[in-house]
Amino acid sequence: MSAVAAAWAALTGGWAIPAAFAGVVWGIFGGALPGISPSIAMALLLPFTYGMDPIPAVVLLASVYVGAEYGGSIPAILIRTPGTNSAMATILDGYEMNRQGKGGEALGISLVSGLVGGLFGLVVLALFTEPLARVALAFTPPAYFALGILGLSVVASLSGGSLVKGLIAALLGLMIATVGTDPVSGVSRFTAGAPELLGGIRPILVMVGLFAVSELMIQVGEPDWAKADVRDTRLKLPGRATWKRMIRPHSIGAVIGTVEGVTPGAGGTIAAFMSYNEAKRWSRHPEEFGRGSVEGVAAPEAANNVVTATALVPLLGLGIPGSNSAAILLGGFLIHGMQPGPMLFERNPEVVYALYGGLLVANVAMLLVGLVILGPCLWLVNRPKPYLIAFILALVMSGIYSIEQSFFDVGLTLAAGVAGYFMRWVGLPFLPMVLGVVLGYLVESNYRRSLVLSSGDHAIFVQDKVSLALLLAAVLLAGWSLLRDLRTRSGKARAAGGAPS
Amino acid sequence: MSNRLRVLAALAALPLAWPLAEANAQAKYPHQTVTLVTHSSAGGGSDVFLRELARHLGPAMGVNFVVENVSGGSGAKAMARMAKAPPDGSVFYATTPTYIQTTLLSKPEVGYTALEPVATVFLDPEVVYTRVESPHKTLAAVIEDAKKNPGKAKWGAANPASLERIALERLMRKTGVKAAVVSHEGGGQLMINVLNGTLDIGIGEIQEIRAQLDAGKVRILATLTDKRLDQFPEVATAREQGIDLVVTKFRGLAGPKGIDPKAAAAIGDGIKAVLASPAYKKEYLKENLVVAFMPHAEAVKFTGGFAKEVEASLQEFGLLKK
Repeated sequence: MSAVAAAWAALTGGWAIPAAFAGVVWGIFGGALPGISPSIAMALLLPFTYGMDPIPAVVLLASVYVGAEYGGSIPAILIRTPGTNSAMATILDGYEMNRQGKGGEALGISLVSGLVGGLFGLVVLALFTEPLARVALAFTPPAYFALGILGLSVVASLSGGSLVKGLIAALLGLMIATVGTDPVSGVSRFTAGAPELLGGIRPILVMVGLFAVSELMIQVGEPDWAKADVRDTRLKLPGRATWKRMIRPHSIGAVIGTVEGVTPGAGGTIAAFMSYNEAKRWSRHPEEFGRGSVEGVAAPEAANNVVTATALVPLLGLGIPGSNSAAILLGGFLIHGMQPGPMLFERNPEVVYALYGGLLVANVAMLLVGLVILGPCLWLVNRPKPYLIAFILALVMSGIYSIEQSFFDVGLTLAAGVAGYFMRWVGLPFLPMVLGVVLGYLVESNYRRSLVLSSGDHAIFVQDKVSLALLLAAVLLAGWSLLRDLRTRSGKARAAGGAPS
Repeated sequence: MSNRLRVLAALAALPLAWPLAEANAQAKYPHQTVTLVTHSSAGGGSDVFLRELARHLGPAMGVNFVVENVSGGSGAKAMARMAKAPPDGSVFYATTPTYIQTTLLSKPEVGYTALEPVATVFLDPEVVYTRVESPHKTLAAVIEDAKKNPGKAKWGAANPASLERIALERLMRKTGVKAAVVSHEGGGQLMINVLNGTLDIGIGEIQEIRAQLDAGKVRILATLTDKRLDQFPEVATAREQGIDLVVTKFRGLAGPKGIDPKAAAAIGDGIKAVLASPAYKKEYLKENLVVAFMPHAEAVKFTGGFAKEVEASLQEFGLLKK
């Protein structure tokens, strides 16, 4: 208990609480800026933590992550641009709600769902870090491969109508993922001699290009944008009826966020998409999804905030960062001479407990800050469109540039934007492509790694129990979606055929 | 600057340098601010190395060291940055075997030959380890077991085409064992696969396995060093176990090609002096770094030989065409 007391003293006496608030504010702004992912927002602060005490430093970084996951949903809902990768699923219904004049409600749902998710994740983190850390150990290379396949099977449900077009887009995404350094032999592939491509094309560049830049290109070509929709928008906290509807998506988000968070390599983006999908599947009103469903906003926003806490489980429990953001936090620990891992609980328990406390403060801070910070955001969205587009483009470009101080990345993003423009034109969906880019490397490297382990025998994928279970789940998911697709289509055809004009 | 001017400038600067003169009797370094470039991002291995070195070397030399992170392209971007820097001792790059491997495998426009080593400072000792549940206590026992059960051995390295990966290939050649050598995306994944028993052994720096080692989850089977490590006197080197395998993962500094020899010598002397200071010693010993100081000429020769050796190994294992 003395460690808890020490943590309490550190939390209340020092700079930890101000650090949590500052982290959340920075995180919300960073998350709201398209192109600044949570990990980038954290990385930008990392140099400043060198001079800080360990506890405020770690709390600051973890709070940025919490704030950024809410911040990311603001532009997703208001301008159809994901501020963070994991807010992409929020666009589907959040932006739709905004178009129907319910943007304030969507933001309120996002905020409270983030709070619920964050608090749930924190409880999971605090209670189950050690036992849950063992889940990570069950993941062998074949299991990781199967995890990636399960992620890709979501394509079937995300392709927005045409499964073939979805598969084409996913394949293009997988092809983009092969650029860079070969995961097994280490030789460079498809880099055309550019050193910038050796590390591969970062998914963030593709995402920002496809979603943000192509959207801006289209917006420029369109005469108007309905300002009235957002002028009267006030952040509206959900009422009792809405809370009731959110129980189910919140539960789904909590479960999926926990599983994806503790599994290294999965992360908030996949958690958000999967929980969106599952929420749709288990919903009483699946037909509302894509047309401004409350549940469609609540599920992914709860899930990605669950991940902000549960992603720390493998980091704290095993010293293994499961995501970019966790890796930055690991950097924050290392700067102060602490090595996350099983020994952290014995050596620096007060830091662990103070981090839990800091995360609690950060989640409450997110609610308070979220209520007041929206004003500036709404004000921003209501500026005349040309200014806004120029401003957003400048933000996107400077955000992209700031990742690696690279104009090459800016060029890649613009190229992805042009590609996105044409993809819209021919009706190729973006989400499967993004999933392909995100998961391509995971799938390929673990597929080949497994085959190295088994000397080329594919049986390894069914011999590994975790792998087998995940692959079966993927087959079921894809088959079920396909069946549903066919049924709705034949239903539509019958309806059309039965009612000739 | 003529000699007379230089004397005048030095005289003018004397009052400023007064507090430093006591700490450092040598001539003042020609640059007030020196940039240290690394390919590692903030918090990464070389970044920490540079920041700690700078913290001790800065006051000792009276120089303000600034660390610049040029990450991306496994060092290719940092090397390109170095090629554009003046060779006057105002910019240095933190070397590790990475920049040589990147040059050989990825063939960027600017490679390691555009840089001139100024000093080597440390060796990161590499070890072979396994999980504690493993029945084996030594590397020799693992090899023995692999010989008895052909086709079953599974070894892991953190990154493809890394020094560690090459070391495992060399281990196979030297012992005549056939093993599946699996590379990963970093030490974290490798550790998981060692801990869950997918792999028989992993290879890595002590720093990378520190947390699991302290927690009693992994066991070191052999150190791949010349001598036993001070921190682990009970662990035999691979050589003592009859396997002639030594991995030299060095850390050092390099300047642009044709660097001013006086600046190189000054930095070398400064590093040599600071390595002996108790404050710095305490820190680098904690990180299990082994001092392997070589001044300018020696470092150039060592690095050249090292690069040739790596190139030969990569060709031998078919990762590089002759």
